[in-house]
Amino acid sequence: MMKTRTGLMLIAPLALVLAGFFLVPVLMLLPTSFGEYLPGSGMTPGVWTLENYTRIVTDDYYLEVIWRTLGLGLFVTLACLVLGYPLAYLIARGPQSWRVPLILLVVFPMMLNLVVRSFGWIALLTNRGLVNNLLIDLGLISTPLKLMFNLTGLMIGLTHIYLPFMVLMLVAAIQNVPRDVESAAATLGSSRIHVFTSVTLPLSAPGILAGSILVFVLTISALVTPRMLGGPTYKVMATVIYDEYMQLLDWPSGSALSFTLTFMAIAVIWLSSRLTKRWAGMA
Amino acid sequence: MRHMLRFATATAILCAGLSASALAEELVVGAFGGSFADNVKACHVAAFEKATGATVSLKLGNSSQFAAAIRATAGKPDMDVVFIDNSLAAQTQGEKLNEKLDRSKLSHAGDVIPTAWGRDDSYVVAMVSATALVYNPKLVKTPPTSWLDLSDPQYAGKYAIGDISGTSGLQYFLALNKAKGGTLENVDPGIEAIKPIAKGSAVLYTQADQLLALFERGEIVIAPWYPDRAGVAIDKGLSLAVAYPKEGAVGILPAVMIPKGTTKSDLAHKFVDQVLSAQGQGCFSERAYIGAVNSKVQLSDKLKAIVPNGESLDKAWFIDPDVIAKNVPTWTRRWQREVAR
Repeated sequence: MMKTRTGLMLIAPLALVLAGFFLVPVLMLLPTSFGEYLPGSGMTPGVWTLENYTRIVTDDYYLEVIWRTLGLGLFVTLACLVLGYPLAYLIARGPQSWRVPLILLVVFPMMLNLVVRSFGWIALLTNRGLVNNLLIDLGLISTPLKLMFNLTGLMIGLTHIYLPFMVLMLVAAIQNVPRDVESAAATLGSSRIHVFTSVTLPLSAPGILAGSILVFVLTISALVTPRMLGGPTYKVMATVIYDEYMQLLDWPSGSALSFTLTFMAIAVIWLSSRLTKRWAGMA
Repeated sequence: MRHMLRFATATAILCAGLSASALAEELVVGAFGGSFADNVKACHVAAFEKATGATVSLKLGNSSQFAAAIRATAGKPDMDVVFIDNSLAAQTQGEKLNEKLDRSKLSHAGDVIPTAWGRDDSYVVAMVSATALVYNPKLVKTPPTSWLDLSDPQYAGKYAIGDISGTSGLQYFLALNKAKGGTLENVDPGIEAIKPIAKGSAVLYTQADQLLALFERGEIVIAPWYPDRAGVAIDKGLSLAVAYPKEGAVGILPAVMIPKGTTKSDLAHKFVDQVLSAQGQGCFSERAYIGAVNSKVQLSDKLKAIVPNGESLDKAWFIDPDVIAKNVPTWTRRWQREVAR
């Protein structure tokens, strides 16, 4: 076993960077979130209030945005999992010669800037975009489908952008499942489907969990894609926070929303890791 | 020997370069992006650098980003002069972040129209534009005359309005509110009137130039938009014309300010002076299709068809920037909840 001191030394550089450039600035925002903002004259010094937080739970607009954000996170995670698992399985267990080209294909979109990729989706999904024009020309629809500024647009855009993270996590996890265990199950008379559902899938749970947490957290905190594909009518937490900070200049309200988002993310991660551990028999 | 010579030459060039950049003071100017920045460079930066020997570096952004930056760096600004919408200049003035402009340091101060000066000289309006109606004259035979025309069935699905986060969106909303009998204290009539209009809008645009593609493809034929953007687009060959509604356009007054705490106050004043000069103002007007605040500037006929002037300027509604600054968050929240939801 590694000594505690060696362990501490190993994480020290990253821990210091995180503490100095992430934790401290975030904590500095905490007092702001209890401040009072008066439009026209700014933050009132010395006045503290809980209103920024109470407004979040009492205002049905904020609640709608919160539920929408969580729902979006959940749907995108599920979509990435369903689309990513077969692909990851193929990469991990398929022919050796396919592995590198497939991984390259998965990673390739990440070499393109996020704004460019989101813009690409706009070109495809707008009312007069490629998809709608094609469907109209084929005579399948007469009026353009609403593919942007709603859940559909964000689902498509975000799933596309975060799928690689899920796949790469799953590949590593599936590769770690010992083939011997699967063979043993097969020898004892399990069908291939049964081997998969009762051996391979639970044993790759750590990868599923890690990939899901990563995709979920990235989705609920994504700003650029929701701004471009959600527009002014379909807002999520990140875009509302941006508006409060940059357009309304109401920093206290924006800070309170930021902390709410952070706590929601932590709660969801904690809950899902407990559930997964129970399912995979690790607890 | 040859090596040494080469080395010496290289060192000399490097030293000369370093000392030149150390001697020339650098002024950081916050300006809006796109053609605005190009015009600032052509009309103000070039003349300023020539006259003072200082260099200018432009920092690009929009008004609310600049206001956020000025607040975040309070007292130690990373910009020396900032172009900013007058309502946001009023906001930073409310937070005591503006340096009072010293008119004695501005040789062109006397030529500037008196209404251009902000409260306590905390900023000065640098140009005059407006939100008006822009339409495609090839597809719209009779020019629109009123803000209410957007509800006309002939434009159904063929118009776009801006989101409240942009100036034209906010101003169209307030103009509609006024036309429907509302006031700045009570915007209920405006909210009710704009709900169906926002719903029928081809898009709630958030970037001014989003409309270019929509006009070009014929997806829209009319929109509340900026005459200056329309003027530039017409020059590029787009079929557009500007109509000033009979209720009056809504004035837009981009201003310049000096953030409090700059170490280059004198140089910053010289830049503001350049911005206010008749030469700088005239150049900017011609290039940007925008009205001037220097009374010595004469607009050409080409500009008069587009820029608010004469009757269209007299009828324009200039909303008190302090009232805007105080109410924008409330109006925006109502818009998010009741109009864009």
